[in-house]
Amino acid sequence: MSSDNPQSGQGRLLPRKEADLFKNVVKFYENKNYKKGMKNADQILKRFPNHGETLCMKGLILNGMASAKGAAGSKDKREEEEETKKEAVELVKRGLMMDMRSHVCWHVYGLLHRSSQNYAEAIKAYKQALRIDEENLQILRDMSLLQIQMRDLIGFKETRLRILTLRPNSKVHWLSYALSVHVNGDPDAAVGILDSYFGTLEEGCVEFEKNFESSELALYKNQLLSETKGEDEDEDGLGGVRKALEHLDEIEKVIVDHTGWLKAKLSYQLQLGNFEDAKDTAMKLFERGLTEEHRVHGAYMCALLKCDRETCLEVEKMKGTGTLATLRPFAEEERSILLDAYGSKDGLSKLYPRSNGIKRIYITILPTNSDEFKSAIDKYCQKQITKGVPSLGADLSSLYLMEDSRSNGSRLMLATDPLDVNVHPVHALLVDLIEAYITSLSSNNSFPSGEGESPPSALLWAWYLRSILHEQVAEYAQGITLIHKCIEHTPTAVDFYELKARLLEAGGDIQQAADVIDAGRDLDHQDRYINNQTTKTFLRAGREEDAKKRIALFTREQGSPEQYLYDMQCAWYELELADLLRRKGEFGKSLRKYMAVVKHYEDYHEDQFDFHSYCIRKVTMRAYCDLLRFEDDLWGLPHYGRAAEEIAKIHLHIHDNPSALESDAEPDYSKMTPAERKKAKNMARKKKNAAAKGGSKSDTKSNNTNGGSGNVKKSKPHAIDEDPSGKELLALNHLDEAKKYAAILARHAPKSISSWALQYDVSVRRGKMLMGLQALFKMKSIDSNSPQLFSRVVDFSQRLGSRSSKCHDTSEEIISAEFPKLMGGKTLSEFVKSAIERVKSDAASGLPMRTAVAKAIVSSGVGSAPDSLSVILDSKLNCRSANVDSCREALKFIESVGGQSGKGQFQALVVTKFPFLKDF
Amino acid sequence: MGKLSIDFGMINSDNIEQLKKINQACFPVAYGDSFYRDMAKKSDENLCKFAYYSGLAIGAVCTRVEPIPDDPNGRSRLYIMTLGVLAAYRNHGIGSKLVESVMEYYESEKDGKLSTVDEIMVHTQTSNMDAMNFYMDRFGFEKGELVENYYKRIDPPHCYVLRKKLR
Repeated sequence: MSSDNPQSGQGRLLPRKEADLFKNVVKFYENKNYKKGMKNADQILKRFPNHGETLCMKGLILNGMASAKGAAGSKDKREEEEETKKEAVELVKRGLMMDMRSHVCWHVYGLLHRSSQNYAEAIKAYKQALRIDEENLQILRDMSLLQIQMRDLIGFKETRLRILTLRPNSKVHWLSYALSVHVNGDPDAAVGILDSYFGTLEEGCVEFEKNFESSELALYKNQLLSETKGEDEDEDGLGGVRKALEHLDEIEKVIVDHTGWLKAKLSYQLQLGNFEDAKDTAMKLFERGLTEEHRVHGAYMCALLKCDRETCLEVEKMKGTGTLATLRPFAEEERSILLDAYGSKDGLSKLYPRSNGIKRIYITILPTNSDEFKSAIDKYCQKQITKGVPSLGADLSSLYLMEDSRSNGSRLMLATDPLDVNVHPVHALLVDLIEAYITSLSSNNSFPSGEGESPPSALLWAWYLRSILHEQVAEYAQGITLIHKCIEHTPTAVDFYELKARLLEAGGDIQQAADVIDAGRDLDHQDRYINNQTTKTFLRAGREEDAKKRIALFTREQGSPEQYLYDMQCAWYELELADLLRRKGEFGKSLRKYMAVVKHYEDYHEDQFDFHSYCIRKVTMRAYCDLLRFEDDLWGLPHYGRAAEEIAKIHLHIHDNPSALESDAEPDYSKMTPAERKKAKNMARKKKNAAAKGGSKSDTKSNNTNGGSGNVKKSKPHAIDEDPSGKELLALNHLDEAKKYAAILARHAPKSISSWALQYDVSVRRGKMLMGLQALFKMKSIDSNSPQLFSRVVDFSQRLGSRSSKCHDTSEEIISAEFPKLMGGKTLSEFVKSAIERVKSDAASGLPMRTAVAKAIVSSGVGSAPDSLSVILDSKLNCRSANVDSCREALKFIESVGGQSGKGQFQALVVTKFPFLKDF
Repeated sequence: MGKLSIDFGMINSDNIEQLKKINQACFPVAYGDSFYRDMAKKSDENLCKFAYYSGLAIGAVCTRVEPIPDDPNGRSRLYIMTLGVLAAYRNHGIGSKLVESVMEYYESEKDGKLSTVDEIMVHTQTSNMDAMNFYMDRFGFEKGELVENYYKRIDPPHCYVLRKKLR
């Protein structure tokens, strides 16, 4: 190679002057002083235009400049930025070609990939760089971050070991290596590594003193110990927990997070069955002020009742106000133990008379048919009504516990269906109680027990609660009557308009509901909650523009609200808007909104990157482990699930009905003359550009005020304006897209029956009958009485009969051996008939199940159209899951089989049940 | 009847609709949009305020300083435009507290911002004995002249002027 590349041959370095310049280039790049860096690089290139490392650095600087500019979101800038980035890639590639043996070039190549989030390629480049310079700490460190981000756990461990071997005197490297071993599933070895690390420390150094870092590290080691198996003689597999419990005493002197320490202790003691000790530990936690924390109460109850290990662990994970008392029913003697602990003379409620948590939990322990329960509820309600607590209704609804039929009575569940609430004794009791309050308060302004005068608002909140009790059992008209009284009494409170809107919505009139809640919103323009509820109701009512106007009241003034909500990752809004667009048949636009939510989750995943180095440096090891676990489960979270499921469903819908796309919006352009079209498009573009500019201005503004930290992370280019109607998304292969999201959900949300329903729907369309069958079995294991499962079993059976090609022989064998199990060995018509029997024998059988069975009757030819209608009509709608949506679904079916009388009968039932329904 | 403990809060463009609701519930006459627009824009929080009971707006007073017409010395007066408490919350001393708070403000500013103010006055419908008793018995207002056909759409359409000399 020519002399313009001093490194083309081995051992030939840049001359002194240029070498110094190169050092400057690197320094300037690291300080983000791109302009100067560029200048220096150009100076070198003037003399050595083919110097690989300089070319690479120049590319990297160019890339940095482009990203910095990318904060501006307008289309022109974005295109410019893209150009620059391309140029940067070209430069780096050229540099690399000039000098493949330079670790610098490979490192830069890796950094470039990393900056475009192409982590897998970045790791490859780093590995190349390391092949040339094995001991480059910087590259090793960068690579380890990518490896944990990508969950290349084995690679991560190897890299951390190499780093530790190179620099064994650094605490961070020891901790990182221990963690890498831990995440590879070897807590024993991780403990060993931490012990080795402690061995390198000198006696009396700061690492052994009581401070945050040593406290966290000690508790992390303790957590590791509890995860180990323990010695061979521990037959129960709890040796680790035992060791961890002993270890707690050793570390107590350095502990800062004493609450965390006690909680760990409580958990271990429970798992080991040291119930007396556990009780003491729980009491200590109460003393520390944790009387309102339901998990501690749950654990305390487990200790009192000497629960087995599985139950203790289950209670440990319960959320909200859940405790052992809401998990499973109690035997009489168990109940009396708990009552004694909570209610007796020296019980918790006497020790902590000011604790609301304890009062509330005491109520959940009392047998619901006892006088004590009644009087405790009475006292509680009077207090909250006098105080005026709007959430009382929701609070009390957590008392509607009933035995979970799927668990043979070993677990409790919450009654939520109006049908179940209606027969629940606690609901009946509350109704009696509140009715009595209302009578008494309206006649002499005091509660029936008559202790003194109540404030004028007591009657108001009693009416409000009674209205909610009506709502819970679907008595919408009665609920409205009462809420009108509330509004007349005190027309200034937002809560009443909200409840009225809820009653109207559930009772069938979403339009009026939206207007009512909007009137409530108008009472208080500073209430973000009611503003959001209003927006949501407008979206459900199909009033997109109204919704946008309302939500814009709380977004930043400049820029488009849409963009702002996207930047703020406002998933609920995007999901509701996407639902609306989907219902309108604007599938492209809808997909874009769902994809925005998917993107948020990708961003959440991306966001963890910064924590990999930060957490270890700050020794927040326990929180870091939680974070890693959270990120691993990210795709199983509800909002993501909703978006992914709907995306897949839209793709399936279009796959099944390619004509659905023709009705997709964008009619504006197609019906216009070319000139008009051009004009309209230009207008739209201008508008968009203006909006984007506005947005970017405010961005830079906040940049300055926050000194570049905090919210300004969103400097990534927005991919939002490019394709507003979602044409690109609609051009994708529908089945492939559906398959992608179904697979993610099946993997990350395997406990949700709809994940598997989706997986089934996708599999059978792809001709993967075996996968479909597997999905059906998964569904069965989650809920064998699900209408989703029933209709798919019927579908599967019909597909088997009608398909043109068969699967692989082994698959066929499995299908013919396993599928009959799903139908209980019956033929299709027998299977459908038994479903009819089952539905008819239980008056409460849900409407969706009835509709599914009715459909099956018709599709399998088991019965006539009137037969199928009777399955639905027999219910008189006094069945579970009868809401406006499920009724519309049923009506669709009824209309499809024809017969005016059946339709008329059904409509009459629906109108009686949903008094505000107008367009049915 | 026992007194309720209340808080005062300012009236502004964000909560002006609540004032509208209270007034609609309390008065037979409807105030025009311009009244509420002005109130939202430039009301003095010392002279115009809500009464809150446990977070609910249940009453309001709106007062303004206006010149006494044809007064040779250019003196002015406090004019109570509206004073209303939701029916369910009456007889708990809330109206009194609202008027008192305005009076207290006057006392604190009688040599300051309100140094030109000589009296406080209010119009009451001739049939509204409750209101007259309220102002006269509790605050020492004196019944002044009868203004015939003061109201347009309610019966009787006449009102009295009640006033109290403040200095």
